[in-house]
Amino acid sequence: MDALLTKTKEKETSTKQMISGSEALLRCLVAEKVQHIFGYPGGAIMPVYDALYHYADKLTHLLVRHEQGAIHAAQGYARVSGKTGVVFATSGPGATNLVTGLADALIDSTPVVCITGQVFAHLLGTDAFQETDVVNTTLPVTKWNVQVTEAKDIAPAIAKAFYIAASGRPGPVLVDITKNAQNELIEEFEYEACRNVRTYKPKPVLQIEQIEAAAALINQAKKPYLLVGQGVLLSGASAELKVFVEKTGIPVASTLLGLGAFPADHPNYVGFLGMHGNYGPNINTNECDVLIAVGMRFDDRVTGNVSKYAKQAKVIHIDIDKAEINKIIKPTVYVHADAKEALSALTQQCVNNSFPEWIESFRALNKLEFEKVVEKEIRNTSSLKMAEVIHMLSVLSKGEAVVVTDVGQHQMVTSRYYQYKNPRTNITSGGAGTMGFALPAAMGAKIAAPKQQVVAVIGDGGYQMTVQELGTIMQYNIPVKILVLNNNFLGMVRQWQQLFHGKRYSFTEMQNPDFVKIAEAYRIPAAKVTEQKNLEAELKKMLAAETSYFLEVVVEKEDNVFPMVPAGAGVAEVILELPKANTAIQ
Amino acid sequence: MEILAENNFSILNRIVNVLNRRRVRIIKLMAHENENDFRKGGAVLLLHTTPDLMEKVKHQLEKLIEVEYANYTLGSDHYLELSERIVDVD
Repeated sequence: MDALLTKTKEKETSTKQMISGSEALLRCLVAEKVQHIFGYPGGAIMPVYDALYHYADKLTHLLVRHEQGAIHAAQGYARVSGKTGVVFATSGPGATNLVTGLADALIDSTPVVCITGQVFAHLLGTDAFQETDVVNTTLPVTKWNVQVTEAKDIAPAIAKAFYIAASGRPGPVLVDITKNAQNELIEEFEYEACRNVRTYKPKPVLQIEQIEAAAALINQAKKPYLLVGQGVLLSGASAELKVFVEKTGIPVASTLLGLGAFPADHPNYVGFLGMHGNYGPNINTNECDVLIAVGMRFDDRVTGNVSKYAKQAKVIHIDIDKAEINKIIKPTVYVHADAKEALSALTQQCVNNSFPEWIESFRALNKLEFEKVVEKEIRNTSSLKMAEVIHMLSVLSKGEAVVVTDVGQHQMVTSRYYQYKNPRTNITSGGAGTMGFALPAAMGAKIAAPKQQVVAVIGDGGYQMTVQELGTIMQYNIPVKILVLNNNFLGMVRQWQQLFHGKRYSFTEMQNPDFVKIAEAYRIPAAKVTEQKNLEAELKKMLAAETSYFLEVVVEKEDNVFPMVPAGAGVAEVILELPKANTAIQ
Repeated sequence: MEILAENNFSILNRIVNVLNRRRVRIIKLMAHENENDFRKGGAVLLLHTTPDLMEKVKHQLEKLIEVEYANYTLGSDHYLELSERIVDVD
């Protein structure tokens, strides 16, 4: 009997197919419902690419032109779709080229899983060809990372990676797989998604007493003020936010990454916060009596000088990440919870209310900004200004396009003038401020949302940092629209040099190539606008194109972005224009 | 500060990294495997910083995926007590 059982067992075992670690990896990705991978092959990841050759019907791989392009594309993909972006790269320089994107994804809470190839396990630590200690290199810029040296550990590591990347406050995860593990044969297996990690508690349990304490403050407030960040988008809480606002009547302002979480055309929306935010939202930060921060982390670009920030207000901070609470601003009441759950619970506890006079005070301040800044920018009759380009783009696309910005003046102008109506349509590099982000991120965004209009708005500096991705756009016919605002300067640095460094333009002026010819060399239709009279027609042509399209708009060289909270100043010290008496702010 | 964690590759680096970023001075550090299960471990640290920063750092440490628990007490008595206990076990 025992012999019979043993034989049956052997037979069962022998029916199990042997697969390589590389194929195991791909099976894990299929099981995680991955559709797209952005990557670049190399020596240490060749077994994975060899296995991928047979998975073309299940996994679509896009060959980028640089690993930084891969991770930014995965970020754009993740930010638009809400799914986890996936990246492949080889060892050594392939992996280190991911570092900027990992740092960007970590600070902007973007779920990305990067798979890097690594040298054979027996070569680890020997300075082998293309060997870099990737785990330690990426340790401070990942939510979690791990090295796998045996094929049997690949599936559990991938399952854990996807779970950690997407749960709680999302972030990037890196799995480094040695080449022997990729080659090693193991028995095929049933993939088990990870649902729990013993030491990791991504979803806090909502504490009703915290909600009650927050509601009590809100219900007594005379001038409550709601600041929303990306946490609202990440938890999919836009609908709950709208219900909460419409019940409580509280004015709403948005951080850079929160744009789109609340519709810009809603009567309670008062504007964009921060260094180049709207006048009303900045000034009234120091006028409110209760400040409610939801899914935002009081970044220094939002607070300005913290010692002058909302000192009069009682602060309620709602965040899923406990480490963000009391990191910068000590709250009167905190709610450690997911924004969606917290807003729903808070809506039930708060009374119906309205604050017409309080909201009117924002409008009055914003009117001042309109007269001193906005009107001059968008109704300008001389040279082309960045603001009028973005204003026109917003009007022509009805605020419904996915707009991917890079970093610098154009980013701030887009945040100010593009009227985002929908969640997950504002894609930008916020915390890290990564120049070169927009072009590859827009590529990923378009892959994630093929039916949506995707426009990359980029400055001439940042564009040249990842311009090689035009090759990827060409090869895969990704119909992304590229709008370069060219002032032949690193504009934001130049603005600071003008305002704070005595107008000494130290290495910020750029001699640029013929951008139209470059785009055309990649077989991308291209045009250039130098005169205001052609702007509308050319923007319309760009938006109507069914293919990718490049449009360069030559804008005023020394245009500045205002309002501005000068470095070291408080939010209420926001200025609307350059002080007339001084050319430089001291 | 007492930290309990999964004894994974690089865990000590991760912990020290959080402290370094916050410029918390490490006066003494004793790390150990769990006596019953080598896959778990911990560290006891004597740190020089303010109570306010300790509170912030505690949450940042607990945010690390492998860290199960981080707690602190003021003064050096608790460190001496814990580290002696670890030495006794060894």
